[in-house]
Amino acid sequence: MSHELIEAYEPLNPLKAPAGYRLALMGNEAIARGAIEGGVYVVTGYPGTPSSEVLMTIQEFGKDLDIYAEWAVNERVAFEIGYGAAIGGARALVTMKAPGANVAADPILSAAYGGVDGGLVILVADDPGPHTTQTEQDNRWFALLSKLPMITPSNPQEAKDFTVYGLELSEELKLPVILRTTTRVNHTVGDVVLGPIGKPKKFKKFVRDPVRFVRAGMRWNLERHKWLNNQLRRAEEVASKYKLNKVIFDGKVCIVTEGAGFNYVIDAVRDLGIEDRVKIVKLGLIHPLPKEFLMRELSNCEEVIIVEELDPYLEFMIKKLLYDAGIKIKVHGKDEGLLPLEGELSKPLVMSAISKVLGIKSQITQSVSSGIKDIPPRPPPLCPSCPHRSSYLAILFGIAKAGFKRDEVPIFGDIGCYALSVNPPLNAIWTEHSMGASISMAVGLKLSGYEKPVIATIGDSTFYHAGIQPLIEAVHKRVNVLVVILDNEVVAMTGHQSTPAWSETETGRKSRAINLEDLIKSIGVDNLAVVDPYNVDKMINIVAEFLKKPGVNVIIARHPCALMEARIKGVKKKYEVLPDKCTGCLACVRVTGCPALYVDKDGKVKIMTEDCLGCGLCAKYCPYKAIVEVKK
Amino acid sequence: MKVVNILIASVGGQGGLTLSRVIAIAAVMEGYSVRTGETLGMAQRFGSVVSYVRVGKEVNSPTFGYGEANYILGLELTEVLRNIQYLSGDGKVITANVVKPPISSSLGIAKRLYENDILNELTNQVKNLIIIPAKELAIKAGNVRAMNMVILGAFNALAKMFSEESITKAIITLLPGKKGKTSINAYKLGYEYVVRNVRSKG
Repeated sequence: MSHELIEAYEPLNPLKAPAGYRLALMGNEAIARGAIEGGVYVVTGYPGTPSSEVLMTIQEFGKDLDIYAEWAVNERVAFEIGYGAAIGGARALVTMKAPGANVAADPILSAAYGGVDGGLVILVADDPGPHTTQTEQDNRWFALLSKLPMITPSNPQEAKDFTVYGLELSEELKLPVILRTTTRVNHTVGDVVLGPIGKPKKFKKFVRDPVRFVRAGMRWNLERHKWLNNQLRRAEEVASKYKLNKVIFDGKVCIVTEGAGFNYVIDAVRDLGIEDRVKIVKLGLIHPLPKEFLMRELSNCEEVIIVEELDPYLEFMIKKLLYDAGIKIKVHGKDEGLLPLEGELSKPLVMSAISKVLGIKSQITQSVSSGIKDIPPRPPPLCPSCPHRSSYLAILFGIAKAGFKRDEVPIFGDIGCYALSVNPPLNAIWTEHSMGASISMAVGLKLSGYEKPVIATIGDSTFYHAGIQPLIEAVHKRVNVLVVILDNEVVAMTGHQSTPAWSETETGRKSRAINLEDLIKSIGVDNLAVVDPYNVDKMINIVAEFLKKPGVNVIIARHPCALMEARIKGVKKKYEVLPDKCTGCLACVRVTGCPALYVDKDGKVKIMTEDCLGCGLCAKYCPYKAIVEVKK
Repeated sequence: MKVVNILIASVGGQGGLTLSRVIAIAAVMEGYSVRTGETLGMAQRFGSVVSYVRVGKEVNSPTFGYGEANYILGLELTEVLRNIQYLSGDGKVITANVVKPPISSSLGIAKRLYENDILNELTNQVKNLIIIPAKELAIKAGNVRAMNMVILGAFNALAKMFSEESITKAIITLLPGKKGKTSINAYKLGYEYVVRNVRSKG
């Protein structure tokens, strides 16, 4: 390409490109596009892998589309905002990762009784693997629990299309619709053909209707429950025009699948060359189960194989369906151990399962192997210059300074990058449970009669999300606990989203910055200190002092996320090791565990210059002054 | 065209995901179907990162199994070795000669593997091994972080899957401005390196 052509080339905006264009979009970008095609006006959520890029895409590419696209403080608030918009007739999308559904469960269950006027789609992104989630929670059960329709796309194209259909279906059934995805849909890039852009549907009207919206009246609730069941009975018929369910091939062995599982099934069937022997029944609507469709497609099958990730949800539902209809067909699935209950599926796993049922001998693929078996593992560490590293070092040294042993002062962790402090060499946190649980669990241990001090460590965004109420509990019940808020001024782990302390959001919206100190003071904590953890010695002293003082003591350890700081301010300095002075004692490595340090063949430490962000922590702990600033 | 399976082995922060994304965009521009499989998030930084890329007429699964990779593109040698089982018998490995020892090695919890250990092992096991001085070429292009684009150039010089125009547009789509220009330079240097130095074994 010539220089002029390169200069003139304008990449397409994935949210504004006209219908008919074919783009490479990540599943989450496709959902964002679907939201625009479906005319959403309010988009909110809480960051969580693998769901975050939906809202991030709308924030980046949809600035002038006149759509509200902002992060909320947590998933329940996000859902209630989406619901509030939808009862006024606007279309809304709310996004969250799998455990977010637990946080939002309370208002979601009530919303099924109240219903909506504008289309409302709840994106719940599950994580079989799990790659980046605390559990392999299978939120398909959440559709049964909440009694809401659920649709599950298999690829980026469907992710976009189903978002549009979900909004339509929600409006027709007057119920929120759950768009349930998994990592291999959210984070897969695929070719997507765009559809026409819809006009954002804003507020229409909101009329007082206590039967629908006041959940205090018990008789009304019974009435609304009947209404809800009736809506669910209509769902299959109403949804049928969107062709969410599909049949491929026409053999006698029927493979029922949905979501990411479908991709492995179709590839496995082609690789095995058994297109004439199987019928693939692919579900897109998985709650309520499309009974008429399934009865039509399954009643003549000789055998049924169910391919699904995580729990045997479809297996449970389909066995019941066939039993109720008095049809005796052998159903193969997870109950008999054909496929694993844990982890994600893959084409090889699905191929071997199908081969087993069909009696096909499995072929062995020729692959290359390594003679070196014990390849050093590389779990993600804290980044170079990460302020959490300094904070945990200060906590650990502070425990010692206060006269306690490391193993008698439990450090409760919370959800965020700082959970990586669990790994060597810090070996810091003892727990990482659920959003906000660090403080409440520390309080619980203390209340059980634990006599030594307890420490709770929680990030700023996690504190805003679910840490404020536990702190109120600790203060109100007068429980002695040291709370360290690791304030890096951003939601770092999920890709640097805004927190309530920002005075302007990603979209340029002017916001009122929440003052963390004022918030904590107003709760009535006994002692509060703010410290920059890069000043490790100062923080060690405060930790030691606060551990010895009774009461609820809070330290705000404030330093921006090192990656964000480097991006905004640039890297001001870097460090290098003087080979003559380095004795190879490895103190720097053992204290910091910084991934920019490594031990070379000569046993001496070196620094990967391009990775060093210049915090100087390694230099501070070098007993031989062998680590120095690189002279410019 | 049969589906081409590419595995990108890297360390979080090296740009492995950007590389997979550029290939995906270029593939769609050329009219192919594409799927990538990867996990994202800041907390993957400095951890092992694997991206699967599949390009063909019709592609469904975002991942593939052992022995199914036609190409392994490496930004770091330990990660190439870790994932070598994915390579098919006649597959090609195109990799940077870079080692970033993980913290587990530095702490002495795990074995220390150096460049020569890994290169010797790869030379023994892999029929088509193409080593690229990617760091030097990236620095020459203007930024050490452009190693991923050097490897992209080397890959396309061997695979000849995409036109220069598609690759260039794909790079600009993802990396606008100065980064894009550096990336295009890096791509060209990787491409030219292979044209000059590597005799294709077909």
